[in-house]
Amino acid sequence: MNIVVFIKQVPDVPAIKIDHQRMTIIREGVDSIINPLDYVALLCAKELKQREGGHMTVVTMGPPQSEEALRESLAAGADRAILLTDSYFAGADTLATSHVLASAVRRMEQFPDLILCGMQTVDSDTGHVGPQIAEELDLPQVCGVTEILSEGEHLLVKRLGDGFLDTVKVSIPALLTINSGFQETEHLSLGEVDKAFSEKQIVCWSRQDLGLSRDDVGFKGSATQVWRLQKPPASKKAEIITGSPQILTDAFVKKLEELSLVDEEDTGE
Amino acid sequence: MRRTPVNNNAGKVWVFGDYRNYFQNRVTLQLIAKGKELAETIGTELSVVLLGESPNQYAMEYVAHGADIIIMGESRDLKEYHVETFTEVVSAWVRSYKPDIFIAGATSFGREFFPRLAKRLKTGLSADCVCLDIDPDTGLLIQTTPAWGGELLAEVVTPFSRPQMATVHPGIFKERCHDKSRIGRIIYPDIGHIPQPRERVLRSKRYQTRDIDLENARVVVAGGRGICSKENLDHLFELAGLLEGEVGVTRPVVLAGWADEERLLGQTGKSVKPKLFISCGTSGALQFTTGIRGSETLIAINRDPNAPIFKIADLGLVGDATVLLPFILEKLKKRL
Repeated sequence: MNIVVFIKQVPDVPAIKIDHQRMTIIREGVDSIINPLDYVALLCAKELKQREGGHMTVVTMGPPQSEEALRESLAAGADRAILLTDSYFAGADTLATSHVLASAVRRMEQFPDLILCGMQTVDSDTGHVGPQIAEELDLPQVCGVTEILSEGEHLLVKRLGDGFLDTVKVSIPALLTINSGFQETEHLSLGEVDKAFSEKQIVCWSRQDLGLSRDDVGFKGSATQVWRLQKPPASKKAEIITGSPQILTDAFVKKLEELSLVDEEDTGE
Repeated sequence: MRRTPVNNNAGKVWVFGDYRNYFQNRVTLQLIAKGKELAETIGTELSVVLLGESPNQYAMEYVAHGADIIIMGESRDLKEYHVETFTEVVSAWVRSYKPDIFIAGATSFGREFFPRLAKRLKTGLSADCVCLDIDPDTGLLIQTTPAWGGELLAEVVTPFSRPQMATVHPGIFKERCHDKSRIGRIIYPDIGHIPQPRERVLRSKRYQTRDIDLENARVVVAGGRGICSKENLDHLFELAGLLEGEVGVTRPVVLAGWADEERLLGQTGKSVKPKLFISCGTSGALQFTTGIRGSETLIAINRDPNAPIFKIADLGLVGDATVLLPFILEKLKKRL
């Protein structure tokens, strides 16, 4: 089975700090990671490859430093890594991003049997790119997949959505977006990491390699624009308590008393 | 067959009528209320797109809740929700009637269907909006959506392509009262050829493990990354047990494999409205707090005195939840 996995390098979101004066993100000192659900998709592809045999290509669109994420993917078991990088790709919304990613699939010498991506990313969290790649490549899609049951002419997958656990039969080639149901944790062997950084090559494709017009990629190819960024409204003024665990515990219990969730302490000893 | 010519006025604001899980999922009714408001602002009518085998009962409901027009696709082939089929039918209608605005609930289906539809129509889509407004100067739909883990709100616009599409977070807008006397009209555009879907649901079962009823819990104890381990989560369960509540978690906790997805709170999880919400080691990213805004009282425990969660808390305790919880449990056990 020939599998393509799309990944995105994202900042470690919980570590992000905001410059509230300028309404921008302070990136210094924040690690970049493979988007967690994309990493799950990667491990899922690896398992499929081990079970079925085949080939696994990992692809990302991003600035040159996204190479790190591809190296990590190679260490995790990918056979080939492709970096889609071009200054014109910057500022893309999901419409323009999916166009570049789909174009990369079209440029591959062999059309994949299966395309995987994470169900959503932690930075923008739209979940749009998977279905939009499927649309551009005219592939069936199943989103929120938690398990891949069997392979062959069709795939049988489990999908969790809107309160239902569905068993879905989908013809291949197909695109699946992966939910966190796969709970694999994997430790990379140092040998593999070493090999990924020294031996395996990363292929770079630019806008021209993909034969794309400037008007269809990046900011120019995007239908949406971010008009303004603003701070979420602060709604309440909290009573903030610091001190020893005993002091904090007393404050906690006092609040529960106010809410009548515990009875008032009997003070008439 | 009942047909309406394509030049028939079908309103310029459209809502996707997502009726799966109807009694739990009120998001379509919430969007009808908001859509009606937007339609009034730009001087048009509100239409709801409704597909199904015999979806008449929903048409009546939608009109009673504020829809002016129902754009109906009635066919056995539309009985099941299929992204590809729905994209085929609805994209043709959008091309004929040219709505300005088209919104859907950010349900699992909405989040899978709308991206594909937007791509086919080559138009913009924003995800999981928490606010929708018409800009008085340009008339554009301002789609406000959380960005950067919810640290900021981004105002997104679709300046050139139409329709302006958005999915909307459930539970943000209030539905209107059911008004039986309201009158709407139904139009039946041509459904056209419906392709054989390439994916098929073979089995479907309601996903419910144990009896987790976070939505209706009186007390919710929530854990974030700051609880550090699966073992520490036991303290939360013990606290929830003492207060007859439930345990909810943030996305990092689910990703770490410490708790199941069904306990996930926030933008992509459940929304809760307890009498008391106790947050332990959550930073308070907007993606999480959108799901807990309905809480009457919020107690937050976090080591970082600058954690955003304190901004929406009623009581903030600056300390390590993993250290503090055993003290709290000990004291409460004596009292309850």
